[in-house]
Amino acid sequence: MPGLIILAILAIAAVFFSLSRARALNVSGGQLSNLHSRPFYHGLYSLLWVAIIGLGVFLTVLFLGSNLINMLLLGEAREAFPDGSTIEYQLLMNDARAIASGGIPSRVDTLREALAGKYATLENIYAMSLLILPAAAALLTGAVTLRQVDVNWRARNRAERVIRFILLGAAVIAVLTTIGIVLSLIFETLNFFNNIGWRVDKYLFGTRWSPLSGVHDGSMDADKVGAIPLFAGTFLITIIAMLVAVPVGLFAAIYLSDYASPKVRAWAKPMLEILAGVPTVVYGFFAAITVAPFIRRTGESLGLSVASESALAAGVVMGIMIIPFISSLSDDVINAVPQSLRDGSYGLGATKAETIRQVVLPAALPGIVSAVLLGISRAVGETMIVVMAAGQGANLTLNPLEAVTTVTVQIVMLITGDTEASTAAGPAFTLGFTLFCITLVLNVIALRVVRKYRELYD
Amino acid sequence: MTNMRMTEQDLGVRENKIEARGVDVFYADTHAIKAVDVDILDNTVTSFIGPSGCGKSTFLRCLNRMNDTIPICRVTGDIRMDGNDIYDRSIDPVQLRARVGMVFQKPNPFPKSIYDNVAYGPRIHGLVRDKAELDEVVEKSLRKASIWEEAKDRLDQPGTGLSGGQQQRLCIARAIATAPEVLLMDEPCSALDPIATAKIEELIDDLRTSFSVVIVTHSMQQAARVSQKTAFFHLGNLVEYGDTQKIFTNPEDQRTQDYITGRFG
Amino acid sequence: MVDMATLSAHHGSQASRARLRKRKMAELRLKAYGIAAILVAGIALLTLMSSVVGQATRAMTESYITLPVTLSAEDLDPDGTGDPSVIGKANFGGFVKDVLKEVFPTVTGRSARRELYDLPSSGAAFELREQVMSDPSLIGQTMDMTFLASDVTDLYLKGDFGKLRPQPHSGDLTVVLADDGETAEIRTNSNDFANALAEVKEELLDQAVLLRRQARLQNTGAEVFAARATRTEYADAKADLEAQSASRIVERDRLAGLAEDLERRAGEPDGTEALSDNSPTVIIRVGDGWAKMTEIGMTGGKADVVLPIGAADAIPPGDWKLYLHDLPETARKISDQQIIWIEALNERGQIKSVFNTRFFSAGDSREPELAGIWGAAVGSFWTMLVTFGLAFPIGVLAAIYLEEFAPKNRLTDFVEVNINNLAAVPSIVFGLLGLAVFLGTFGVPRSSPLAGGIVLALMTLPTIIIASRAAIRAVPPSIRDAALGLGASRLQTSFHHVLPLAMPGILTGTIIGMAQALGETAPLIMIGMVAFIVDIPTGITDSATVLPVQVFRWSDFPERAFEARTAAAICVLLLFLVIMNALAVFLRKRFERRW
Repeated sequence: MPGLIILAILAIAAVFFSLSRARALNVSGGQLSNLHSRPFYHGLYSLLWVAIIGLGVFLTVLFLGSNLINMLLLGEAREAFPDGSTIEYQLLMNDARAIASGGIPSRVDTLREALAGKYATLENIYAMSLLILPAAAALLTGAVTLRQVDVNWRARNRAERVIRFILLGAAVIAVLTTIGIVLSLIFETLNFFNNIGWRVDKYLFGTRWSPLSGVHDGSMDADKVGAIPLFAGTFLITIIAMLVAVPVGLFAAIYLSDYASPKVRAWAKPMLEILAGVPTVVYGFFAAITVAPFIRRTGESLGLSVASESALAAGVVMGIMIIPFISSLSDDVINAVPQSLRDGSYGLGATKAETIRQVVLPAALPGIVSAVLLGISRAVGETMIVVMAAGQGANLTLNPLEAVTTVTVQIVMLITGDTEASTAAGPAFTLGFTLFCITLVLNVIALRVVRKYRELYD
Repeated sequence: MTNMRMTEQDLGVRENKIEARGVDVFYADTHAIKAVDVDILDNTVTSFIGPSGCGKSTFLRCLNRMNDTIPICRVTGDIRMDGNDIYDRSIDPVQLRARVGMVFQKPNPFPKSIYDNVAYGPRIHGLVRDKAELDEVVEKSLRKASIWEEAKDRLDQPGTGLSGGQQQRLCIARAIATAPEVLLMDEPCSALDPIATAKIEELIDDLRTSFSVVIVTHSMQQAARVSQKTAFFHLGNLVEYGDTQKIFTNPEDQRTQDYITGRFG
Repeated sequence: MVDMATLSAHHGSQASRARLRKRKMAELRLKAYGIAAILVAGIALLTLMSSVVGQATRAMTESYITLPVTLSAEDLDPDGTGDPSVIGKANFGGFVKDVLKEVFPTVTGRSARRELYDLPSSGAAFELREQVMSDPSLIGQTMDMTFLASDVTDLYLKGDFGKLRPQPHSGDLTVVLADDGETAEIRTNSNDFANALAEVKEELLDQAVLLRRQARLQNTGAEVFAARATRTEYADAKADLEAQSASRIVERDRLAGLAEDLERRAGEPDGTEALSDNSPTVIIRVGDGWAKMTEIGMTGGKADVVLPIGAADAIPPGDWKLYLHDLPETARKISDQQIIWIEALNERGQIKSVFNTRFFSAGDSREPELAGIWGAAVGSFWTMLVTFGLAFPIGVLAAIYLEEFAPKNRLTDFVEVNINNLAAVPSIVFGLLGLAVFLGTFGVPRSSPLAGGIVLALMTLPTIIIASRAAIRAVPPSIRDAALGLGASRLQTSFHHVLPLAMPGILTGTIIGMAQALGETAPLIMIGMVAFIVDIPTGITDSATVLPVQVFRWSDFPERAFEARTAAAICVLLLFLVIMNALAVFLRKRFERRW
């Protein structure tokens, strides 16, 4: 249905495109040079406005409509049945909706029937207005733009200005996304902090994580929302990952940029690119099916007790995932070190290794640091590997052979768990917000460093 | 040894430091240098002149095997330093370059402190036993490159913070600190202003007392001012080689004459 | 004083040569580290690929059991209507069970029957139903029909639960049946069971080692409690600790006794040994008759008859067989009886293995043998369609704005920083955004490709914008100048001249971004695309799942057969990614222009 309405609006726009173009041709009196703008632009101007207004009205009605109905009904319900809990109202609304649409309600009583009747009427009005309002708005706009067609009408400039606003709008979507992320995360986070009585310190520094136990009337036990075990687990796995990824990635980059023959480069670089293109869920499968059992067996043959979801397995595989990331970023900065510096060093009789260690790497250091920071930010935010291969219980340890859980694992568990969505969303979004802040800081620092570094050598 | 050298100098005896015979250089399929024979004398400034692309820089880079760092470059022929073939398999280019230092067209100080820039060579070659000796070598080299006065109060500041001319003198000091026997300079003044150029030229004349200096330049005036011997390259050929005086006043070859009088270049 | 000339003499000296050797070693070391790093990456990739592909090949075939079936009218269509809707209501599940009972009439008892019914897939009855419904004329006929084998049967046939190993034997076999025919005495006139007995005894020793280890643990516990008891000052605590210690000593001695008993049994040169669920399985076969040994000595022992075996005297060695299965019954998902039935069916040529087309054409299922990836693939298609439809135009328009029109001011700067940061925001955060904003506020249907596509589009947008900007920047200013010089507006210049020239680069970047989106899992889990959806989605608002999420779901299932299917699904996913990347490389190679 919504798809059809969109198509209808676009069709109206197309009709007005040809109408305006024809009218422009008409007013030109067959002499195109009389026109300020070519007929095409008159048509385009109409088309753009009709489409924008029509789609805008459609989306507004779509967005406002269902929320408005909900609000009206909820007000009605509150009037007839005050002092209910949120869940009771929700149930009431669901039942009313079910009755109205011929579904199966949990209970039928007069209030529900009344609400259902109201709902059905409102829904009808909504459906009608969803169809009529956008179409009417589009037709009206079309008529206005059609009237504006004139010999002196600067349709091209006008149309171009509209297009430029569309372009600006596209660019602003990135900003809107960020705002959307921040707002949606902050809203639930504040909600959550409110539910634990603003004991933010207990969240940041507490050592017991079991947020869904002891939930009472939406308020949570502040002693059970300590995220330190999650931070520690994330930290442990990240450290392991970086211990794998940084040396391997860095040495690979050094080798590829300064030692490797073109032949070796020709297969080693695509190999690293393939490694970078493997989806994380595949790495997760690899960690759970191949690496974790391998580490467990190896550990047991050495007489160590290894958890089957050890931090080591998840960390190592995550490290492998990040190798190409580190190596390609490092490769870029190492290659960006000017050849003249290398020549200067060779000219003094330095070996390649000395040149790399004492001239190239120090020169590339800021870039490498930012590559490592971006790598850490990736590891911290990585989800699938840890969901599939790391533990789920909040376990405060720094032993890599034990199972630990991470921030991302807990988010997934909370959101996909059986608990009521409104309860689980609090801790999940708070963790998400924490994650967002950490990665944002890392990214900002890394991008700053890179930018400074570029200025130095460009 | 030191004394010996002093004597030779006093006597004005000039030995052949480097002898090149029948040198050819190829870049992939391009024949860049064609059968060049040149002698570089000890304690002498030799300049290579010629129009752009004549191969003078390429030939210079053969003398300390810098061309080895370019994979597609191939050098044939015979280049001897103190009678030893520098392209012999037993000769390590790393060691050769310690003896044949190089200064480049664009100043290229390392992103380190001034001190560390100069100390780089002595450190990697293990020339000094302790910090005191290193300090001394650094000071001497900076003095010799006549930049000591400007740099002595900021030795721990990055070398990249100096002006262009200062940077180039720092690079010369860096090359001197490695204690080479021959110093190759690839258009060392092309990126500098006239005042800085004058300073470097003055410096080159001083350096002659300790090293044999080879300088590539496209400025004939500079060649005339600083060098005792001049080699004129054209299209990969060594056209003429002799005393600077003679080349600039009374060249034998018509092409040299044309170049010097500015008919092409 | 340091003299430069003396330093000069250092070059080429003995000391410098020694130092040079060291420096060269350092050089070699660095190079070796580099090669090692490349090798580590290569080996990681190789292991990853081989473990995935190795697993996946096992999902490429499926097994079928062929059974003779009489589609009797009284079972399926008692009223003789021939109407598919009536036939569809018949009890096909019971019918298939009856077929199995007819094939193995001697199987009695509830648990044995249940094991028997587990041989074909639970989906076999549905397939039979479909077949009969589409062709009611089959009713009344007798024919051979194929039934899809269950996951356990299939895994056994693929060797996942070990194989029956034929043992060499040289004796003549004597079978003495008990009165009820369910057990038998087995004897040979040679030490044919020596090998099996040795393995059984080895197993006993292994168990003894385990028991000893547990006894040691109990002993340690006893000591710890005893030590604590001596340290404590409170009488009641002391008594408690001493009791703890004593109970552990009792347990230790019990375990040690068991271990000793096992070791003694294992040490006896002959004698008989009862076989338990933890022992290797020993099976005897005479013609169509199969029996499972319950007690063995060197020359035979007692056996349970699984498929009827005739009492016989002195069967020559060529006419009977002795099998050994190393895995004890408790260590595998398939029972001894089931193995015997499958082997018997296999022997009669009633089992076949064919290429698994179902995997590529079916939707999801809880039964591994019925599950396919087509549903997820279609879901991925719809999701990618939405992602492309949103991200490509918005990304290109944003890139044109930023490169061609944006004034150099703080707003533009802010937008740029924003895009770069957005590129590094963890994907799961985009999932939370989708959950809160698109599902919560805008009411986009949960689990739908529409919701997934929007989230992935926002995630891919930075990639596309950055790539498009690079491509637009690569178009030389001379082209713009030429167009502007002819009187074109800036917008016309951008759309008529710059954009077409930048298009190959933009498309390459877009394909790479789409490939990333295709492999993305975490944000889609957040918006509910992880639900169990059997139907193939037919539009962007249907509930759906996508390939990587399917991989995640299957990898979470306990059934072992899902492991291979997960790997196969990964292979399909990787295949799509390879195709997309190859397309990107092709575009780059074919249309890339260098100015």
